[in-house]
Amino acid sequence: MTRPLSRRRLLTVAAGTAALAALPVRPASAATEEELAYANFAVSSELLLADLYAKALAAKVVIGPGQAALRAGRRAAIQHAGALSGLLTGAGQDAPAAEDFDFQWPAKAFHTPDATAATARVVLRALHGAYQTAVVTVSEPSYGIVYTSLAASAGQQLGALSALGASGVVEPFPVALDLESASDTLEPYLG
Amino acid sequence: MRGRLLAIAGLVAVVASAWLTSGATARPSATPPLTIYAAASLTEVFKALDGAQHFSFAGSNALETQIRNGAPVDVFASAAPLNTQRLFKAGIVDKPVTFTANRLALIVPKSNPAGIRSIYDLRSKPVKLVVAAPAVPAGGYTLSVLRKMGLSSVLSKVVSRESDVKAVTGKVALGQADAGFVYVTDARPVSDQVSVIRIPAWAQPRVRYEIAVVTKSPNKTAAQAWVRMILSAKGQTALKHAGFLPLPKASS
Repeated sequence: MTRPLSRRRLLTVAAGTAALAALPVRPASAATEEELAYANFAVSSELLLADLYAKALAAKVVIGPGQAALRAGRRAAIQHAGALSGLLTGAGQDAPAAEDFDFQWPAKAFHTPDATAATARVVLRALHGAYQTAVVTVSEPSYGIVYTSLAASAGQQLGALSALGASGVVEPFPVALDLESASDTLEPYLG
Repeated sequence: MRGRLLAIAGLVAVVASAWLTSGATARPSATPPLTIYAAASLTEVFKALDGAQHFSFAGSNALETQIRNGAPVDVFASAAPLNTQRLFKAGIVDKPVTFTANRLALIVPKSNPAGIRSIYDLRSKPVKLVVAAPAVPAGGYTLSVLRKMGLSSVLSKVVSRESDVKAVTGKVALGQADAGFVYVTDARPVSDQVSVIRIPAWAQPRVRYEIAVVTKSPNKTAAQAWVRMILSAKGQTALKHAGFLPLPKASS
């Protein structure tokens, strides 16, 4: 039986990974396959995103506040991947790990701040779109809260890309993507 | 006189050279061929690498059972660590090593009568699906992919569960099924008969191949040398050319 959502519980969710780990989600072993499919895709994509931020930082073409945004994004992606991995292992599945992938990036993906922002935008939009759909697809409200939180973080990261000097893009209704479409978008990068 | 001596010396050199050469070429045939049990997916690449050995290719689970029951085998190469590790724990094989990796793919006949363009189409279209049995590594990996993608419901469309992955490939290539899950390396030899539909990287299982020398092998030195050959640049290049993946980062 699911408890009603209180303001306190919602704030707990927003507090980050520590709170995510403490979420009153139902036992993961009872999660549906579809809920876990989103988690599988999301772990892989967050690992991809962490790699993107790491490569962008290593390229050293982004300086000042943009660099801080990249660092914060990388921290968030790593925390998201860790929290989602916990959901999967709790359900008895092997969570994807970075060594399972050979991430592929376009040759000039990190040559300029604009190129970096454009690459990050592709990955973040796919993730954001998938999280939006996950929110309404999952049957368990506590999972919905997790995905809402992840969607919000992806939205924040999209906004933070303006710190890279790229022109900000404000979409009134960011597109929700089903798992297949989001997967198709990121497949060339996942290797 | 000096000329005759030189001629005799030259003749001796030629005869000695011929004798040494014939000895060198005769040597391998003097060594008894090894008996190698290997996963069906390794059929083409192992035969191409070394046609001089006695191979038996089948599902790794079936081969494991035969070895456990005392089949006279020198080397076992499995498509899943589970099979080699179980035999290692039972003291039947020496410590296994990972030697390559693979990926799963969905194949459809070239004519594609069911019109499958994506793995997600298996949900919505009426298809005759063929898979390897769950105990076969390829069958276990198939279940893992479907579970990861939230598509286990398509198992209701399975018309046949095969004893090894080559049987799955054969049924699809012959048009007896609309789709089947195989390793990407299985699709290559029948690329004129089947089309490959990629499975997303995020849903791929960890397909790892392990190889081990059988503890009671009477040809242990030769068996160990054969395993080293598979791990060598020569063996790894042949595997790569056949479409296998390089040694996984964690095990290289």
